[in-house]
Amino acid sequence: MSDVLDILEVDRGGAASSEINREKIIGPQRVAKRPGAPRGSRRPEGINRELYALLYSDNKEHPPLFPTEDVNKGYKQTKAKLGMRRVRPWRWTPFTNPARSDSAVLHHWRRVADEDKEYAFAKFNKKVDVVSFTDQEYQRHLQADGWSKAETEHLFDLCRRFDLRFIVMQDRWDRAKYADRSVEDLKGRYYSICSTLNKLRAEPGLPQTKEFVYDAAHERRRKQQLKRLFSRSPKQIEEEQHLLAELRKIEARKRERERKTQDLQKLINSADTEHRRLHKTPGTVKKKVVHVGNKPPRDRLDSASSGAGDAGGSIKFPDLRGSGVSLRSQRMKLPASIGQKKAKAIEQLVQELGIEMSPMPTEEISSQFNELRNDMLLLYELKMGLSSCEFELQTLKHQYEALAPGKTLDIPSSIAPSGLDINRPKTISQVLDIHSSQGTPTRKRKAALEQSKVLHKIKART
Amino acid sequence: MSGGVYGGDEVGALVFDLGHYSLRAGYAGEEAPKSEIPATVGVLEEATTAAQIGTPMEVDSAAGNKDAAAPKRKYYIDTNALHVPKKDVEAVSYMKDGMIDDWDLFENVLNYAYSQCIKSDSELHPVLMSEAPWNHRGRREKLTELMFEKYNVPAFFLVKNAVLAAFANGRSTALVLDSGATHTSAVPVHDGYVLTQGIVKSPLGGDFLTAQCRQFFAQNDIEVIPPYMIGGKEAVKDYEKAKWTRRPNLPEVTKSWHDYMVNEVVQDFQQSILQCVDEYSEETISQMPSVPYEFPNGYHQDFGSERFKIPECLFDPSNIKGVGSTMLGMGNVAHNAVSMCDADLRPNLYGNVVVTGGNTLLQGVPERLNRDLSRKTPPNMRLKLISAQGSSERRFGAWIGGSILGSLGSFQQMWISKQEYEEGGRSQVDRKCP
Repeated sequence: MSDVLDILEVDRGGAASSEINREKIIGPQRVAKRPGAPRGSRRPEGINRELYALLYSDNKEHPPLFPTEDVNKGYKQTKAKLGMRRVRPWRWTPFTNPARSDSAVLHHWRRVADEDKEYAFAKFNKKVDVVSFTDQEYQRHLQADGWSKAETEHLFDLCRRFDLRFIVMQDRWDRAKYADRSVEDLKGRYYSICSTLNKLRAEPGLPQTKEFVYDAAHERRRKQQLKRLFSRSPKQIEEEQHLLAELRKIEARKRERERKTQDLQKLINSADTEHRRLHKTPGTVKKKVVHVGNKPPRDRLDSASSGAGDAGGSIKFPDLRGSGVSLRSQRMKLPASIGQKKAKAIEQLVQELGIEMSPMPTEEISSQFNELRNDMLLLYELKMGLSSCEFELQTLKHQYEALAPGKTLDIPSSIAPSGLDINRPKTISQVLDIHSSQGTPTRKRKAALEQSKVLHKIKART
Repeated sequence: MSGGVYGGDEVGALVFDLGHYSLRAGYAGEEAPKSEIPATVGVLEEATTAAQIGTPMEVDSAAGNKDAAAPKRKYYIDTNALHVPKKDVEAVSYMKDGMIDDWDLFENVLNYAYSQCIKSDSELHPVLMSEAPWNHRGRREKLTELMFEKYNVPAFFLVKNAVLAAFANGRSTALVLDSGATHTSAVPVHDGYVLTQGIVKSPLGGDFLTAQCRQFFAQNDIEVIPPYMIGGKEAVKDYEKAKWTRRPNLPEVTKSWHDYMVNEVVQDFQQSILQCVDEYSEETISQMPSVPYEFPNGYHQDFGSERFKIPECLFDPSNIKGVGSTMLGMGNVAHNAVSMCDADLRPNLYGNVVVTGGNTLLQGVPERLNRDLSRKTPPNMRLKLISAQGSSERRFGAWIGGSILGSLGSFQQMWISKQEYEEGGRSQVDRKCP
């Protein structure tokens, strides 16, 4: 009887009276609890609750020396608690089943309390609604080639008997009277009649009820294919497996080839830039001398220019020429190799321009969007390169001033920072110009050239 | 409604499962039949020995038979009565090809079942009976008539045993591969309905194995003496001729009864010695360990490759002498049955192959079947063999299914009631029991 009411100590009133409790059986307990007796002394300040509980239990007894078996606690299975409820008798009673069409009487065990209730399993009696038609309807609308009325009626009789299990219906088809029919024939006939009747009976105001469309020809084709699939000989299966393996191999080879061309392309690109740079900065010896910063300038140059060089090679957008279908939007996906910083910069730029991050990927838009982002990346990298160069220039200047106090280094106006103000708004066309004239010496190269000139000068002065 | 959780509702129904080996009878809702009565009955033609009429000592059913016909025949039903050697008693089975053939005999067995096993009146219990999936309409109606007219049952239902076996294994769609005494059959069941067009049968069952064993004994000069003939015996060494004495004053028994007794010994041999191998070849079976077997008369020897050779014909009938390849092995039976069904159904059938029947208890049968079938299953289908582990679950598969069905609350609407029978006549069975 440990239910919610008991826990909440809600008096259950009348319900409780029907129950037998301990008192009713054994009689009131002889020793009633002393009223107001303190349940254990108060826990002194500063003693842990758990510790106190170990020392003093509720009944103020010392804890036993040996662990004793507590009947109610511990992991032992408790003894069966017999219900204190009055037994509810069962009786062997006759019953009728409302799910039956007749009123046959069977007997079963039933609680006396449930005596008048309806048979509990009757509600599971579900029937499929099979439409029926009148003679008139059949004569007017339902006649079909190859189906007599008797045969149609036999079909509908089977539908009702087997609850539209067409496979069973086909099995039990009366072959003695009618020609053998396939499952598809039966289904086709049944559903065509259903839809015809549906249309006939549909009231103009009301929405159409469920419409069944059954394409028997399609089903037949499907089944034929299924049969063919099932009846493959082991040899055919082996052949198919073999072919599949071959296909996989071919695809792997193709991928490999593509990867190689990419590598090659990269190699060519880098060789190209290397070559160019070597052309423009012939004095490697001089550089060594200027080796004053904490980083060799060549590296710095590298970091500045190689990014741009890569940018010339641009973002490698995923190439989806492989087999299978793909979404065009996949082509606009930024590859992960770009790095978060650059991706972020591109995102910011795109937002500045007020373009959607993922525009509608038509062929044109996707290619142009990709191009645009390529250019943005280039711009970004150029800016980065520029700022690093500028920084270097400044440091060199300061170093120079430190080494030769009193003198000031006047930077030629051509390379003065003011001339390369990154904060000066630039039109995109300008930037694009840089990119488009990539093949010919560009500003980037000029910058490199000028830088080397500066170094030259510095060296000459010192 | 007791046990509402399980959807069960007891109405005190009785379940009878008819087989060639035995009739299983018991209450629906129980886990095993109350009693198993051999389908073979000792019959004595009283006309020749008129003096014996009315000896009340015999365990028989003459009392119940009084009004039906003049008690010209005397029946010895159930194991105890059947096993006593008596003069002129023929061992007769009332079953033929999975169906009831000798109605008189069957009635007597049913009387016996009611009076000795169930020990209750037939009017009180609805009856659920199993039948062969290929049962004829005439026989079904006759059975219905018999149950309502003679036994006055309140309700009756007839279910195909393959459906029941599928239910016993928790399936409503399955391919039921039943290997019993007289035959092996594969029956496709869809949503609880047998697909009659897909049934495949083969006469390779337990009795066939028994015949093969007897042939083998005859060829090897091993005489099988049933225990009833033996008065005493001495221990002998392997392969040594048995020393046994004949029991004195044995009556002159008929050949059919003697054969029945011999077959029982051979069946024991079958169960304890025979085994199936996964991959049959002369080489593998020659390497298998041999097993000793002692016959009732004390003769004993080791059996080696024969253990595997004999049951191999269940799977590969091509090496049966004389019969040739006209019969189908177990794997082929199942495969053919599936291929006769609708293509949409096949994956489902292969995924639920229920193996049942006493003959499948032969060691290694499910494993072998699994291997044979997996070779035939198309590669994109999953094959799953379902075979109950316990021997009684396997032997009484159909009965257990009937026990489950008969105690289901939602089944109670399906009975043919007495009222319905009276209104609609015997043809009700065709409408109501698909």
